[in-house]
Amino acid sequence: MSSAALKTGAGTARRGVTVSAEARRSSLGFALALPPVLLIALFVGIPVILAVGFSLGFTGGLNETIAAIGLGTVEADNWWGTLAVYGQVFADQRFLRDLSVTIVITVVSTLLVLALSLGIALYLRLKGGWLANVFAGLAVVPLFIPVVIASWAILNFYANDGFVRTFLSQFGIDGPTWGYTTVAVVIGSVWTSLPFATLMAGSGVQAIPDAIIDAARDAGAGVTSIVMRILLPMASIPLIIATTFTAIGILGQFTVPYFTGPNAPQMLGVDISKYFSSFNQPQQAVVMAVVVFVLASGVAFCYVWANFRTAKKEGRV
Amino acid sequence: MRPITLGRWGSRSATVILLVVIAVFILGPLLWLAMHAFATTWTYPNLLPDGLTLRWWSVVFENAQLGEAVRNSLFFAPVTVLVSAVICLPAAYAFSRFEFPGRKIFLIGLFATNAFPKMGLYVTMASVFYGLHLMNTALGIVIVHVIGTVVFMTWIPAAAFSAVPRNLEEAARDVGAGKFMVFLRVTLPLALPGIMVAVVMSFLASFDEAQGTYLIGAPTYMTMPTEMYSLVLNYPKQVAAVFAILLSIPSVVLLLITRKYIMGGQLAEGFQIR
Repeated sequence: MSSAALKTGAGTARRGVTVSAEARRSSLGFALALPPVLLIALFVGIPVILAVGFSLGFTGGLNETIAAIGLGTVEADNWWGTLAVYGQVFADQRFLRDLSVTIVITVVSTLLVLALSLGIALYLRLKGGWLANVFAGLAVVPLFIPVVIASWAILNFYANDGFVRTFLSQFGIDGPTWGYTTVAVVIGSVWTSLPFATLMAGSGVQAIPDAIIDAARDAGAGVTSIVMRILLPMASIPLIIATTFTAIGILGQFTVPYFTGPNAPQMLGVDISKYFSSFNQPQQAVVMAVVVFVLASGVAFCYVWANFRTAKKEGRV
Repeated sequence: MRPITLGRWGSRSATVILLVVIAVFILGPLLWLAMHAFATTWTYPNLLPDGLTLRWWSVVFENAQLGEAVRNSLFFAPVTVLVSAVICLPAAYAFSRFEFPGRKIFLIGLFATNAFPKMGLYVTMASVFYGLHLMNTALGIVIVHVIGTVVFMTWIPAAAFSAVPRNLEEAARDVGAGKFMVFLRVTLPLALPGIMVAVVMSFLASFDEAQGTYLIGAPTYMTMPTEMYSLVLNYPKQVAAVFAILLSIPSVVLLLITRKYIMGGQLAEGFQIR
């Protein structure tokens, strides 16, 4: 009896100690994690908030310099700002055309990247062998090459004196000139996005145990149903991550369309830079940036949602 | 048992054709560009250049402006990695090993840098940089570069720390090693491949960064990638090809060293929030 009392006493005492140790660990963790978060808050969070303000016509504070430098800056006339700049931008036919081109390029390139990377990942998982490894190795090569170089190399490859036309002309065929066209932008986007998507898809599909696939095979499942009913659902999270990162990357890209694309229609990433630097109309540039942010945050939401869903399923939240 | 071998041959040759198409798609542009670095001139539609020369290499090496770009790049990339490691690695450890209020929010918040399209982000950063007098300064460029590495430097090492088996650490504790010794002798070496991948990815992110550097630093600070923009417009194609090869060397070398770990899933692992 006395020993039981002793035990409870010791238990409470220990619990008292653990709680404070836990609290100490918790605040230490918080402190260690803080620096990068502060950095992002300071140089991403605040700028984004200020930029949204600037796009609505708030020209005070840190926005003062840019408002003074820029041409045609509109000032807020209401307590909540003004939509005048948004009106200007959306009234411009060229912007609407570029917005739709940006969305089309993003969707088409993302789908192509997904198809390619998934094909390679599935081939690697189901078939294996040296050929599959060569495919995977090839798909990761673009990770090794700076985007500036890649864009320029792709432009030259598909230019009117590039390899594709040169090669085809050996057989008397007049090949297509894709340099400075939207096709080249899609090619460049796929080229640069392929490695990350392939790594994500590959690791997702690879993580599925052999036993499950073998069991399905024994039960008489064909390749199609193994892929559709087992591999794709089980690898859905890495695939969603691959898709969202690819889409967001392509949506806001600058270098690929700048080098390989036509002057018009052009992707919004190039327009933003043009309005900011060449036309000196930062407010218009910021409005376009906000539009791209809104599109991207829709995509980003899928990513966060996907992550939380798995976390919940596995009981981590 | 397969019924007919013809079908197998068909799928075999289809695979080989697909392999050739993908190989040309991926490697073709790079090889085509590399060949230009040694070409005197190139007349369409010849498959080979008119002659071979090393002249374009001396054009690049004798150009002071290009030399400065190389020096700037070799300055900014290591500084970025160092600053980023100091800021992010402790946080990566914390994300992996500590439970604290706001952990999830913090992890998602870091993702914000990747959720926003780069060009839009740089333009908004630039407007604040004007206010803080950071435009056309080295500090401004370092900040832009470090921002681009935060996700690599926290997520990938955090996943690497999480992957270290706890029972190894406990075993070391049981034989009397102190907390710090356990970290130094067990945790750190086992997490090192992941940290290496993060360091290499960060180095390359800084080394290859062009949009933000151009917006914030040009024309005062030109790095190799930003110099590429003007090079392409102002010099013969062959000079840009030489510069492109030079710019690719560090990436290729660094990634070949860490290729095993990147292909092994260290990179992919880091991008799944745990």
